[in-house]
Amino acid sequence: MSLATHPTKRAQRRTSVPRIHPNYRRRMRLADGLQIIAVVSVALVIAIFLADGGAARFGTPADAITSLGVVTGLVGTDLLLMMMLLAARLPSIDRAFGHDSAMALHQSLGKPALYLILGHGVLLTIGYSMVQPASVFAEVWIMLTTLPDMPLAFVGLGLLIAVVVTSLVVVRRRFRYEAWHLVHLLSYLAVLVSIPHQLSVGSLFREGSVQRYYWLALYVGVAGSIVLFRFIVPIVRSLRSQLVVKGVDPVARGVVSIRLSGRELRRLKARSGQFFIWRFWTPKLWWQAHPFSLSAAPTGNALRITVRGLGDASAALSALPKGTRVSFEGPYGLFTDFARTSPRIVLVAAGIGVAPIRSLLETATFAPGQATVILRSSTADDTYLVDELAHLCRVRGAELRIIAGKRSPGANSWLPADAVRARITLGTLVPKLREADVYICGPRRWTDEVVRDARSAGLPTRQIHFERFDW
Amino acid sequence: MPRSSNRPGGVAQNVNPAGPPNGDGGSGAITLRSMGTVLSIRFGGPVAPELGAQAREAVGSVFASWDTRFSLYRDDSELSRINRGELRLTQASPILRDCYAAALDWRDRTDGVFTPHRADGVLDLSGVVKALAIDEAGGALRGLGLVNWSLNAGGDILVAGDQAPGLDWVAGLVDPDDRGRTLAAVPLALPLRAVATSGSAERGDHIWTAVGDGASPYRQVSVFARDIVTADVLATTIVAGGEAALARSTETWPIEVLAVLRDSSLLATAGLRADRD
Amino acid sequence: MRFRALSLAALASLSVVGIGWQMGAQLTASQQTLSAVPVAPAAHTGTAATVPNPTALGPAAPAATGSPAATTAPAAPAGAASGTFDGSVVQTRFGPVQVSVTIASGSITEVTALQLTNDGGRSVMISNQAAPILRSEVLTAQSAQVQNVSGATYTTHGYLTSLQAALDAAQF
Repeated sequence: MSLATHPTKRAQRRTSVPRIHPNYRRRMRLADGLQIIAVVSVALVIAIFLADGGAARFGTPADAITSLGVVTGLVGTDLLLMMMLLAARLPSIDRAFGHDSAMALHQSLGKPALYLILGHGVLLTIGYSMVQPASVFAEVWIMLTTLPDMPLAFVGLGLLIAVVVTSLVVVRRRFRYEAWHLVHLLSYLAVLVSIPHQLSVGSLFREGSVQRYYWLALYVGVAGSIVLFRFIVPIVRSLRSQLVVKGVDPVARGVVSIRLSGRELRRLKARSGQFFIWRFWTPKLWWQAHPFSLSAAPTGNALRITVRGLGDASAALSALPKGTRVSFEGPYGLFTDFARTSPRIVLVAAGIGVAPIRSLLETATFAPGQATVILRSSTADDTYLVDELAHLCRVRGAELRIIAGKRSPGANSWLPADAVRARITLGTLVPKLREADVYICGPRRWTDEVVRDARSAGLPTRQIHFERFDW
Repeated sequence: MPRSSNRPGGVAQNVNPAGPPNGDGGSGAITLRSMGTVLSIRFGGPVAPELGAQAREAVGSVFASWDTRFSLYRDDSELSRINRGELRLTQASPILRDCYAAALDWRDRTDGVFTPHRADGVLDLSGVVKALAIDEAGGALRGLGLVNWSLNAGGDILVAGDQAPGLDWVAGLVDPDDRGRTLAAVPLALPLRAVATSGSAERGDHIWTAVGDGASPYRQVSVFARDIVTADVLATTIVAGGEAALARSTETWPIEVLAVLRDSSLLATAGLRADRD
Repeated sequence: MRFRALSLAALASLSVVGIGWQMGAQLTASQQTLSAVPVAPAAHTGTAATVPNPTALGPAAPAATGSPAATTAPAAPAGAASGTFDGSVVQTRFGPVQVSVTIASGSITEVTALQLTNDGGRSVMISNQAAPILRSEVLTAQSAQVQNVSGATYTTHGYLTSLQAALDAAQF
């Protein structure tokens, strides 16, 4: 098999066009489509404003400011809805971008959306106050008392500011995931309470107009997606699968593999490398949900995750009794063979990031000799699942490299200090790197360093796949 | 209200402290009696005496002709003959029928609060007649080439142009607590050039409540509108229809309203409030 | 974003915005029924700007009293502008309002708001509610020159003791 395919690959290499997996083309078409829809949705709200005669309303400074305020509100709201859709676990978004990228995009939209909405409030207040004429503060009062649904709109704005500010604080101070999550839910309330004033103030979305139906349809669509994919689908899947804990195997100190069994698991269409958000129904753990990746290829009746618990959860997870019921959301993520574009594969893991790498290695498509597995740790001892990995590598014909050693403080590299001095990079570690897809899973900062290394080795974005974790 | 006083003479001095720039005798008020009240005509600048006389003549004849047709105080008026059954509405003059149609139209637009039918069954068109007469008289003044004038018929005021170059006509609203005082002084600026005031304590000749006798919550209602008929009809309607009629009127028509409640407190639309700054 | 997605998105967005622009332009054009006679721009835009929202339609509209348009009334110069002019659309918190000004022989005879946004009925209602007000807060014109008094109907008899009679008797 390797003899037969070798010449064709060479021919392709000569034209310097790597063989691209058909999945990739399909995925990119979907991604392109979604991106186009997103951009056009912004254009559409601007068009709605223009079609209402908006272009003619820039004649005076007051008009211009007011019109600008209307536009920022429209675009800002569109971005907010987009953010909510990105967080709604839409299967098509997950398939096109992966959960990680979708959430990164979700995060990066947060500030622009907030600034636009803030601009909306400020510009309209100024614009109105110029027409009135009244002082800006008086105008706020006038708006609150005379305009329909305005108190609610101000509440929404306040909530939105609170959500974004706490998100920044939470990320910086590493608050509990649960606390952050709770505050985040307020953003849905913020969006909800701002709807009435959009419909009652001004005439853009007047009753009976096409744009009113479009606008309402956007909200209904987003709300429907959230309810369907974040609540109904997970509940239905959890009930159907009847997952229970079958056994807990200690892997290392604080690290366990949890074997789960259930039924009709094929219908989940889970893939190696994907993760679920799990909830274990014990008195201590039921209230928190954790994202954990599959550490073994899923079968029709069994799943396995490998988990490093932190703090309280650590003890609770290693002591999970047999038969504990498990509910879940997922599977999510594009850290799978589905995202492949090249014949070769390189799997790079650090810490508990080994879990999805382990399952990927099990089922990824590659010919013997075309895969490299790199495990990175501070000492040779704190690597997990090494025995399993070594076994799989032997069976499948992959090369396993374990790179131990402390990173030099201050040096921006994912490799140990001595490796940096020896000018070792991903390119020197892996033969024919340019023909490989690189999968990286590890702590956030470390992952970013590997990604940088892969990029500087000339790898295009489509050949780099990564999943990062914070806690 | 520093410019108000109980004595009429004092008022006149107060409201006109220095005299307007064109304050020569030629532009004083022309008054004449008609329709059971007194009409005041003023001009916004010097007007030749002959033209003033013509204006008085024209206005007087307009009012006289409306009075002849519609007065219920005259037995020989067309409307009195209809009410006595001597004349059918279908045989009435086109003017009377138009006027009746206008009144019915207003009845529909005010949800029946304003009505030309008195509780005792008598057809009373005075609710629109005076306003229509003022309107027509205004047209007559325009016809004479007059641009700046004001016309006050028993407290219903219609103005055109300016009282002096660049100065709007200003209407005072009577304080029902003290009829020698004014509550407000409002420029009749574009586009609201007409004001009418109705009171429940006054003669009440054309005010009929829709349901029962229903004492109105308002002692006096002034309405500023673009035309005198709207102002007059809505003032009547609000007094008769109470809060609901007030809310509906301000919602439906571009008007400003000042209402005096039974306890002498006031309600006003935004345009009648003193500037916020 | 890839080149294909970027270019397609740009193309689609430009078309969508372009179509919106066109629709808006047609809408604006259909609202503009400018007469052939040129009108003094000051009178035109000045008046349009004086009626920025429904609440300001009233006699209290501060700019309206001092409007240059209001001063053009008395002596109409020969060949002065006549006709109906639509002002630019002014955006208010209640939505766009367009003002139509009717000018006859150089003086404004009528100002009409064309586009009060009562499509939903709601904004206008709330904009013009009569609210409780103190006597000291009632509008009192700067000039303090009251020419007429409006009160509930005066009878001929009532007139004699009325403020109006006092004003009429005054020599001005």
